[in-house]
Amino acid sequence: MSVFVDITPDESHVDSPAAAAPTGKWRGRLTRIALPLLSLLVFFGVWQLAAASGIWNQTFVPYPGTVWRAFLDISTTHDGVRGYAGYLLWEHLYMTLRRVLAGVVIGVVLGVLLGLVMGSVGWVRSVLEPWLTFLRALPPLAYFFLLVIWLGIDEAPKITLLALAALPPAAVATTAAVVAAPVGLQEAARALGASRAEVIRDVVVPSALPETFTGIRLAVGMAYSSVVAAELFNGIPGIGGLVKDASNYNNTPVVLVGIFAIGISGLVIDGLLRAIERRAVPWRGKI
Amino acid sequence: MNLKPLVAVLAATTLALAGCSVDRSGQQADKPTIRIGYQSFPSGDLIVKNNRWLEDALPSYNIKWTKFDSGADVNTAFIAKELDFGALGSSPVARGLSAPLNIPYKVAFVLDVAGDNEALVARNGSGVDTIAQLRGKRIATPFASTAHYSLLAALSANGLSANDVQLVDLQPQAILAAWERGDIDAAYTWLPTLDQLRKTGKDLITSRQLAKDGKPTLDLGAVRDEFADAHPDVVDAWRQQEARALTVIHDDPAAAAKAIAAEIGLSPDDVAGQLKQGVYLTPEQVASPEWLGSEGKPGNIAANLQNASKFLADQKQIPSAAPLTTFQDAIYTKGLPGVLNQ
Repeated sequence: MSVFVDITPDESHVDSPAAAAPTGKWRGRLTRIALPLLSLLVFFGVWQLAAASGIWNQTFVPYPGTVWRAFLDISTTHDGVRGYAGYLLWEHLYMTLRRVLAGVVIGVVLGVLLGLVMGSVGWVRSVLEPWLTFLRALPPLAYFFLLVIWLGIDEAPKITLLALAALPPAAVATTAAVVAAPVGLQEAARALGASRAEVIRDVVVPSALPETFTGIRLAVGMAYSSVVAAELFNGIPGIGGLVKDASNYNNTPVVLVGIFAIGISGLVIDGLLRAIERRAVPWRGKI
Repeated sequence: MNLKPLVAVLAATTLALAGCSVDRSGQQADKPTIRIGYQSFPSGDLIVKNNRWLEDALPSYNIKWTKFDSGADVNTAFIAKELDFGALGSSPVARGLSAPLNIPYKVAFVLDVAGDNEALVARNGSGVDTIAQLRGKRIATPFASTAHYSLLAALSANGLSANDVQLVDLQPQAILAAWERGDIDAAYTWLPTLDQLRKTGKDLITSRQLAKDGKPTLDLGAVRDEFADAHPDVVDAWRQQEARALTVIHDDPAAAAKAIAAEIGLSPDDVAGQLKQGVYLTPEQVASPEWLGSEGKPGNIAANLQNASKFLADQKQIPSAAPLTTFQDAIYTKGLPGVLNQ
């Protein structure tokens, strides 16, 4: 449908790494490190100004310093009080990450397997696709109460919810990737005498893997964004439970600490996944 | 591929949807609007709303009723200056009046006092007969609610702290689910969930008893300071209608139950049962020294609110409790007790 015309020659092919001009290298590094830092500084500057301007109530826009103090309070034992609700910040975060990990592993494994089957066998896809789309359209909050009735108030409903959030993106991406596996390569392998299983293992799966990884990253994102919903009931210790509890008390600084903790850990996790992706599927975009 | 028709259809749909939102509040642009936040606990508020008494008493105003699910949300709306009147529990009011929120509002009415409609119930088979036996047991309650406050008050009266038991933060409907599965041993919650728990459990203490012991929890009507200063006549009209609703609850409970039932979607019989278990003051009691007090002499409610503020400070939800004078200043006693009988 669309045609890309590269007008500028691709410099990376022209210059070998050794011949790259040092200024260009420095500029690249500067852009990568300095710009995010600068945006962070501008953000905190604007925040401080907004809080100091007094237009908004402290409950809506607390000072960065207030949030920092709340962060220190939650992270330490002070005046004989341990963190928030008896747990330190890292303990809340650890419990949440554990739940997310368990939920994502279950959801992604099931989702990828489902996607492989759905992508390879046409009638399975026809049977399961409406169900998957149905599940994908549901906000977790809508069915969480049912999970509580069926599975109780401990870890089981939370992990199930996260797994259900992570499953559809992984399954959909894998299905699409498997369907899109180059027919030419498959037929060539067939012609060379490969069995159906061998074609799937050696041709379909490797070519589907980059897309699947994107699906996994999406799945982790979905699970992560369902954390507060998953910890709505009996969520302490847990970072989602902390955010919910603090908002019940209009305790904005603690809510912001929780939001930052969720956001920053999400960034770190996505960075890790991208690093793994680069190692695991270096052939992305090359077939 | 031609996208133009698609874009046109999308634009038309958006415009059409924006034009026909579902709104039956009957607001008129030429009249000022009074914004009232209410909650769905049975109270005179719902009788006033259902019978449109306020609309009749103040024909020159639009009345906009907005439903809220928790006192925290009502507080947030007050901070945003989106509400003139609001119904909320004593615990959120204490939080709102203390630093750092310092919400500029005043307590102008006592909607109800928690009685047997809020209670601590132990599940049959948990082996718990007294509050002292709850040590190490799992107790559920909606955190940050009046029930949470009452639970900790009941525990501390029996020499237990929050650390001696396992507290679980659950909303009433989830309490019922966890209860039926045997996940929890006891729960402090309110009607209608409470009556379902009582079928397979027994009361350890009710909020009526706690109120006698000096730890009452209340539902209050609050009014924004700026609004009360600008429109004292509206506040008077509002208080008179709320007082009228209290009188109906006492004199004609069937009519009260019918009006409330229409608002919260329960049967009038269920509501009548709930009204019996709550404590509804008479207008004379509301203006007595035990509650709001009279003009210039704020009543005992200020002390109750300060207790709730101390509780929040112990919970580390506010840095420190506000002094008693803060709460005395925040009781709207103007014209009490005479104004209620006009």
